[in-house]
Amino acid sequence: MLTQWLNSATRYLWRSVTEGARNVLTLRERRRAMMEARETRGITLLREWLSPMQRAQFDASKSFDVVGCDSEKRYRILYGKVTNVHEIDDDGQPVTGWCFVPSGYLVAGDVMLVQKIALETNERATLAVANPYKVLVPGRGPPAPQDARTSA
Amino acid sequence: MAVQIVMDQTGDTRHWFNPDDTEARSKAGKRFKSLTTIGYTAAVRDAAGKATVTRAFDPTAEETLFFPRLVGG
Repeated sequence: MLTQWLNSATRYLWRSVTEGARNVLTLRERRRAMMEARETRGITLLREWLSPMQRAQFDASKSFDVVGCDSEKRYRILYGKVTNVHEIDDDGQPVTGWCFVPSGYLVAGDVMLVQKIALETNERATLAVANPYKVLVPGRGPPAPQDARTSA
Repeated sequence: MAVQIVMDQTGDTRHWFNPDDTEARSKAGKRFKSLTTIGYTAAVRDAAGKATVTRAFDPTAEETLFFPRLVGG
């Protein structure tokens, strides 16, 4: 009697666990699909607002260059949401990184579009809120430490 | 048809309106004001794709993009 009851309880428990696991997997799949749809919307909007040259560059390398409206310096905006804006020199090599983002949660395409518009329309104010950071280029080694005697 | 695009967690939300419809235009104007009041920046772009930040509602703009304020990362 007890063995029968135990068997039945185990079967019931096992069925519940497998059903629960299946539900979790379904929810995960659904969430992943939703996130992909959001990312795609962001990329679509970004591509709509890029100039033809920037769009071609983005399609080829997932990054594009913008020219600051005040200094006419060039910046490269890389695919991503943080630490993805590099000020670049004439050879296209990164000089300084600038970290600024729109507030709140936005997908990468939206963030990149905001960064582009900000630098192209209001560069000075944008850099005033941005945090600069050193960009490490592979093969170039870490940047030389600032020497007070040489910079004075 | 004109469109106001608001960046949000879903990617963006698009509000279409007929600029020739007085009521729709008024509603779009109110949306512009409420978004810019809470800190959104509005940008429009010309035919060549050049973006410009705008401070006033332009019912003739085919596409207006709203994005949240910038912060240092």
